[in-house]
Amino acid sequence: MEPRRRVGFFTDTTVCIGCKACEVACKQWNQLPDDGLVFTGLSYDNTAHLGASSWRHVAFIEREKPLESQTTGLGAFSWIFHSDVCKHCQRPGCLENCPTGAIIRTEFDTIYVQPDVCNGCGYCVAGCPFGVIDRRDDDGRAWKCTLCYDRLKMDLEPACAKACPTDSILFGELDELHIKAETRLKQLHAQGVSEARLYGPELDGVDGTNAIFLLVDEPEVYNLPPAPVVPQKTQADAWRSVAVGAAAMALLAVGTILSARGRR
Amino acid sequence: MNRRLMYNRASADRDGKPWSERKRYVWWDAAQKKWTGADVPDFVEDKPPDYRPKKNARGLEAIGGDDPFIMQADGKGWLYAPSGMIDGPMPTHYEPQESVVRNLLYAQQCNPARHEFRRRDNRYHRAFGDARFPFVLTTFRLTEHHTAGGMSRPLPWLSELQPEMFCEISPSLARARGVVHGGWVTLTTARGQIECRAMVTERLKPLIVDGQRIEQVGVPYHWGVVGKVRGDAANELISFVEDPNVNIMETKALTCDLVAGRRPRGAAAHAERMAMDESMDLAVEEERALGEEKLRGEGPPLAEPSQMTPKG
Repeated sequence: MEPRRRVGFFTDTTVCIGCKACEVACKQWNQLPDDGLVFTGLSYDNTAHLGASSWRHVAFIEREKPLESQTTGLGAFSWIFHSDVCKHCQRPGCLENCPTGAIIRTEFDTIYVQPDVCNGCGYCVAGCPFGVIDRRDDDGRAWKCTLCYDRLKMDLEPACAKACPTDSILFGELDELHIKAETRLKQLHAQGVSEARLYGPELDGVDGTNAIFLLVDEPEVYNLPPAPVVPQKTQADAWRSVAVGAAAMALLAVGTILSARGRR
Repeated sequence: MNRRLMYNRASADRDGKPWSERKRYVWWDAAQKKWTGADVPDFVEDKPPDYRPKKNARGLEAIGGDDPFIMQADGKGWLYAPSGMIDGPMPTHYEPQESVVRNLLYAQQCNPARHEFRRRDNRYHRAFGDARFPFVLTTFRLTEHHTAGGMSRPLPWLSELQPEMFCEISPSLARARGVVHGGWVTLTTARGQIECRAMVTERLKPLIVDGQRIEQVGVPYHWGVVGKVRGDAANELISFVEDPNVNIMETKALTCDLVAGRRPRGAAAHAERMAMDESMDLAVEEERALGEEKLRGEGPPLAEPSQMTPKG
């Protein structure tokens, strides 16, 4: 079935101010519990990573590197923020690993976990190359960003994008978001931010994502995988290795028996 | 209706044209006869730039089309307040009640119009160079909590985002005092003592004032004894000394000491409090002998109760 609309996020980290309004708006709309009241010491980031109860996560990165095109009193230092979210891959590892059909691609071209079908097997957790989806301790089921499926059905934008005061999180039709992202990238390059780059659409290992990010450093700096690959893409290789291994073991077994006979 | 920048009509010149094409923000669209741009105009939408108020106009009608500051009676931007201030009218610099350095601008150390509260439960450190309190302490707020946290600490969604009281210090201060990132530290002033986690960060640079390297301690406000997340309150450290206009105490600049480890409790805490009181009494005597009160600058006399009584 062709999707009715193709929507996604464009998260421009250069205008993120680290207010965490997206995290709170997400939790309020989706009625998610807290993820533990733990002081992490990771700058102002006490969420640490996406999880079953945290579907938006703002990373606070203290870099020993100045922000290009800006001069501050801090010298070789900058504090950058990044609101992370489910990437809504074109080739989603979670969906392909799901044995119950609980994870579906919606009419909006987003990836959605149906909580009434999920049986909590956890295969999707291992299948996600970004480490996004996770099982909740109390009910065992897997949860992640729904891209506010219920709000989309009512023609509302997702709660995080709605709450973002600087429009760092933009929601919209994927084609338009691509244009906006490219335009912003060109603008930043013209301003001398040569390290600015887009993350998401070019990730071949997942055939591109519906969540586009604009970063100003290597993905690893943001704790994002530089080259994520869904496990299914490496499956053929994996089975080939298994076959080679099995053949080698068979040969060894036969060889051992033959050589043992020969000695007798 | 929510405008992002107040007084944004000021991004255009008197004729309503952007000051800078590159940074244009809000401007007058002559064809549509209204203000338009990247933001909601913080101005009467259809008031043209050439509008001039009539003689006895009142309220918004008294503000001309080239006066962006619509919350001022005359619509103009002010460099200073010509009336209504007890000190002023021009801004200047005085050191806070407690500083690490002498005022480099005037012989008068502190604002002469300040209100002091000289009481045993509201001790002041020496005006500058108090060896017992070598660091600058400043307080700040976090977006995750509201004021002292009374309304945000009961909420799990906000509490999880900033779950514990901490203080921000530079790596050099951490090294000097043997503090590890995330470990406990105790902050001390003459008023009180609190413990919190250490956030060691390059964001907090030591100040260089008059050739002297001064370490700063940044302390958020929002913890207390109730709620889902609890911690010692920054208010324990602060003294009451008020500015003359709005009577706000000096929470943004004072001096303190910082040591690694948790604060003493029970009998040990009591003993430390007694020792602190004794040391402060001696310091007051010393100050009197040195005439340092004069150095702090004109203000209410030492023996008098304050001009203002504390509220509440």
